Amino acid sequence: MESGGRPLLSPPRGFRDILPTEARELRVMEQTLTDAFAASGYLPLEPPLIEYSAGQPAQARLIQFLDTDGSLVALRPDLTTAVARLVAQRYRETAGALRLSYFAPVFREQPAMTAGEREVVQAGVELIGPSGPIADAEVLALLVESLERCGLRLENMTIHVGHVGVVRRFFAPLEEEPRSLVLSALRAGDLVGAFRRAQEAGMTPEDTSRAHTALGVVGRGIEQLQGHDVDELRQVIHLARERWAGSVKLWGVPNIGLVPALPYYTGIVFEALHPDVGVIASGGRYDLLIGAYGAPRPATGFAIDVLRLHRALFAEGWRPANVRPLVTLRPVGDERMTMRCAASLRAAGLSVAIGDVAETAGIALVAAAVVDERRVKLGDGRTLDATTLASELAT
Amino acid sequence: VRPLRFALAQGLLLNDALAALRAIALDVSRVTPGGRRLVVDGGGNVEFVLARPSDIATYVERGAADLGIVGKDVLMESAARVLELVDLGFGACRFVVAAPRGALERSLDEYRHLGSLEVATKYPRVAEAHFRARGLEVEIVKVAGSAEVAPQVGLADWIVDLVATGGTLRANDLAIVEEIAACTARLIANPSSYHNRRAEIAPLVQKLADWASRSRSGSGSGSGANR
Repeated sequence: MESGGRPLLSPPRGFRDILPTEARELRVMEQTLTDAFAASGYLPLEPPLIEYSAGQPAQARLIQFLDTDGSLVALRPDLTTAVARLVAQRYRETAGALRLSYFAPVFREQPAMTAGEREVVQAGVELIGPSGPIADAEVLALLVESLERCGLRLENMTIHVGHVGVVRRFFAPLEEEPRSLVLSALRAGDLVGAFRRAQEAGMTPEDTSRAHTALGVVGRGIEQLQGHDVDELRQVIHLARERWAGSVKLWGVPNIGLVPALPYYTGIVFEALHPDVGVIASGGRYDLLIGAYGAPRPATGFAIDVLRLHRALFAEGWRPANVRPLVTLRPVGDERMTMRCAASLRAAGLSVAIGDVAETAGIALVAAAVVDERRVKLGDGRTLDATTLASELAT
Repeated sequence: VRPLRFALAQGLLLNDALAALRAIALDVSRVTPGGRRLVVDGGGNVEFVLARPSDIATYVERGAADLGIVGKDVLMESAARVLELVDLGFGACRFVVAAPRGALERSLDEYRHLGSLEVATKYPRVAEAHFRARGLEVEIVKVAGSAEVAPQVGLADWIVDLVATGGTLRANDLAIVEEIAACTARLIANPSSYHNRRAEIAPLVQKLADWASRSRSGSGSGSGANR
């Protein structure tokens, strides 16, 4: 690729190369997360990178292009929507619970010059079929378990739990149309506009002020509120704590004002917030999304922003558990001897690279020179056989 | 944990914003409009950052500041993802579509013939969203200043501009075709900060909301004097 005679070296705006040190850490996180998901019965699945633009959420900022047949397609902006489509197609007649998980990139358009990333890696689960507090609590607990298993300390973050149904109920005096305008203003974060619209649409000052107070409720303040949906919110937090005790006794903060930007949530919603990097993970119940693809099914799930989680872990000084060091083998003139020596080191369970190594990605190196088929000479002058070296490096 | 950081727009809104903050007993004495120090201590674990209005939304969206005071006009043009918490009432202005006085009929006739109008503006995002919602086909011409001369010099048929009194429009022989939105100053917050630091932020929000409703009803020590 050339431009004006000079090769283009940087990737397109909003995309970046992930180099070995970081990639190695991300692999460790991937393994931890997929193990955590599997331990709760979640099976991996892999939707395609590209979906039809028409099926994507209205607010999504899509990276789009035309397919050769003229249809408008987009790099998937979201995996929940892709899973919903897949479930509506492949599991249309399935009545029971589906537990699905993924670890994959999603793509979102960002305005230029805003330091916005266009590729985001998400790890998440979807629990499709069951409704009610037990299902919501299972998913919420699994999120916290996954983050803690990755090494993020619960005392350094806050898990906020809200309920879109409670918010909707406080605007119940409105007709359907103005109410949906109010909710879309809330999703956009425009509280001023939301309450103004509510009053213009005829909500009384008393009802408006009640809604205003409710949206400010956080933590113990929830005890002032009543209603079955409020009870449900508290119950979900209690049940989730039973399922994953966590390093902090009373994790989970009720927060009625938590209204996610994505339009498809219908019930319990939650976010994991870190003071330095912001929202690390979010999720909630989306009972109508799969129905939009013709196969109504209750569903809940979460997605972790893996790169943000990595940044939070990095900020807290986390490094992946030590891997075994790499033996760099200095060859001798006899090439067959060199290869046989490398083979016996590998057979003893050692990691071996022949010759020098330019990129170590933080892995410790042990330099060794070939002596014969089974023995090497180390930098300190000792000559060891493969098994002895392996047991020495294991400690 | 760093102090709660409050971003304030330099320029027209600053005096009103300082009056509001003073009224809720924050210490703004070290903020000097036009001064050189741009990050100043506000006492009580609060600090103030002064920035250009259009940068306030960026600071708050990216969490470089937790709270900010900025005009709704700036928010509409920036499309930043922030929480708009309180309408502070001051700094009133309007986004309008304006056309040369007496030329409205002619330009509409032209629109019927040629199928498109040219609109000059400093606010391309607001203009584009408005005309798209209206279903009118326009070409936006972005200018960095003084859109009001565009029709006179033949740069564009109409303009979209921000007006406070309408004096500039009249002086350039322009008439308002329609109003797009009324704008006043807003208290905004970074969403994560708002949830994470609610204990510090909520009392400030409540006091500013009370102050704003007192100034609106005219009984408080409002900010009208400065306008």
